[in-house]
Amino acid sequence: MAEEHEHQIYLQPIPVRIWHWLNAFGIITLTVSGAQIRFPEYVSLLGSYKSAIYLHNAAGIIVSISFSLWFFYYTFVARSMANLYVPKVEDLKSGILRQVKFYFLTYFLGWDNPHHPSPDNKFNPMQKSVYLAIMFVMMPLVNLSGIFLINVDPLRGLIVMIGGLKLLAVLHILLACCLIAFLPTHVYLATLGRTPTDHIKTMWTGWEDEEEGHGEEQQDESKGEKASSGN
Amino acid sequence: MKMDCRILWSFLLLMVLAVPLSASAMEMDDCLGCHGDADEVGDELFIDADKFTPTVHAEMGCMTCHESVTDEHPDDGEAVTRADCLDCHEELGGQYMATEHAENAVCSDCHNPHQVHGIEAVSGPEMNQQCSQCHDGIDVMDSHAEWLPQASLHISKLPCITCHTSSESYVIVLNITQKQKKSEGLKGYRFSSYADLKEYSGEKEIQSLIDIDGDNHISLAELRTFNRNPAYKNLHLNGTMVPGEVSHDLSTLDNRYDCTFCHASGPGSMQTSFLSFPTEGGTYQRMSVEDGAMLDTLYGTPNFYMTGSTRSSALNIIGLIIICGGFIMPIGHGTLRFLTRKNRQH
Repeated sequence: MAEEHEHQIYLQPIPVRIWHWLNAFGIITLTVSGAQIRFPEYVSLLGSYKSAIYLHNAAGIIVSISFSLWFFYYTFVARSMANLYVPKVEDLKSGILRQVKFYFLTYFLGWDNPHHPSPDNKFNPMQKSVYLAIMFVMMPLVNLSGIFLINVDPLRGLIVMIGGLKLLAVLHILLACCLIAFLPTHVYLATLGRTPTDHIKTMWTGWEDEEEGHGEEQQDESKGEKASSGN
Repeated sequence: MKMDCRILWSFLLLMVLAVPLSASAMEMDDCLGCHGDADEVGDELFIDADKFTPTVHAEMGCMTCHESVTDEHPDDGEAVTRADCLDCHEELGGQYMATEHAENAVCSDCHNPHQVHGIEAVSGPEMNQQCSQCHDGIDVMDSHAEWLPQASLHISKLPCITCHTSSESYVIVLNITQKQKKSEGLKGYRFSSYADLKEYSGEKEIQSLIDIDGDNHISLAELRTFNRNPAYKNLHLNGTMVPGEVSHDLSTLDNRYDCTFCHASGPGSMQTSFLSFPTEGGTYQRMSVEDGAMLDTLYGTPNFYMTGSTRSSALNIIGLIIICGGFIMPIGHGTLRFLTRKNRQH
């Protein structure tokens, strides 16, 4: 086991991976059932409208609980919430710009990613900012608005106070659209590792290759390639 | 001379028309003179004048239904005849007689003919009073919760006859509700009475709270003004869906078990809506609302939202644009990535 991971770092601990895949399936279920709830004339993948509602509610509750556990884990168990997710001053000053420059310019020129993930510093400054908005603003709000929409009758007073049921539903739908929009971007960016499936494997196994952790043979091969390309 | 003749004939015609009207009015007053006093006639024969007078039945006069009553009543000893409801309400009665309900209750078990009003003059909770005389609230909730999502929300918002009817058309009725005062010891919202709204409207008619221009029709702009007015922050519009036509076929049609019968876009019912104002006499009076109020994104009816059916197309477009935005990165970046793939082959 130790040999197997000699040149790898353990980047994604088990709770994080469980949470990630639970979220992934939950969000896909919510997207499909949500589409059927809003457009029952066009979407009927889940059978009856009633089953779409039950599934949407169940998936929503699971994702909400999963979110709460994630929050609890990172804040109180791993104690790395602020370090991982809140951009530092340096990140805001130059980090984001550096990362944007990499993704939209130097990546195409074949340069390396300026950010090297470690368990203490998993996300690059751009990821940090995006995840901050998603995990600290959008997810809590979409979960909360969903919980309100499941309990309209008992929470009527509160719903009226915050501007009405329609506003709540509009907020829920727009936030859901933003999160759905994030999916293709998220999946695409996950393919920008050394190989297209590198990051995805990491999220499944927890281990990621170290920056200079290629095997001897691989290193030799790449040296050979560079040498031949130089010729 | 010709002119004089005309005036004389007109005068005679007026006299002829006026006599039965005054006789009818006198007659009802005569009846209520005794029957309006419970001490005199007993509880069974007592007619509550305040509730009877605003009914359509009162406009017809007592004698229309109780035609055997003479001027000598009750000294003549004649039995008082009662009209059969089906004499007038033939179609509704026929529908009802074909249902199982007819085996358990006659018309007057649900409808007091001296207090009855049309569907437009009563509120949703009042419509349900008849049902709750026999159907226990807890049983109703339990039997619906077995299959109906959000059962308590459906039952608290909708009159029973919205589903238990053969009416194919529906309208949306909005009622003004208000936050209950802490001094009343109750939480939540209740239907505002005429007196409650008079406190807001002052000397003006209560309709002027929403129908600002007084044209007896509520526009979207007027609805928005009402909903945004901070002075009315404790009032809010409570919407419900009621059958367009009254029917007495109380069985549940199969299509009512399909959620999309109501929760789908484009039913005409979402377009037709009314605002139901309470009247001084305790009934309600509807005022038409501009088409599309239910679909107006935020301010038309902020607290009326029916999943699937009140969806706004503007919001659909905004949502679609946001989702499409999510594909910019994979498509745009992906294309450039493909074109520059040689740069990364070291």
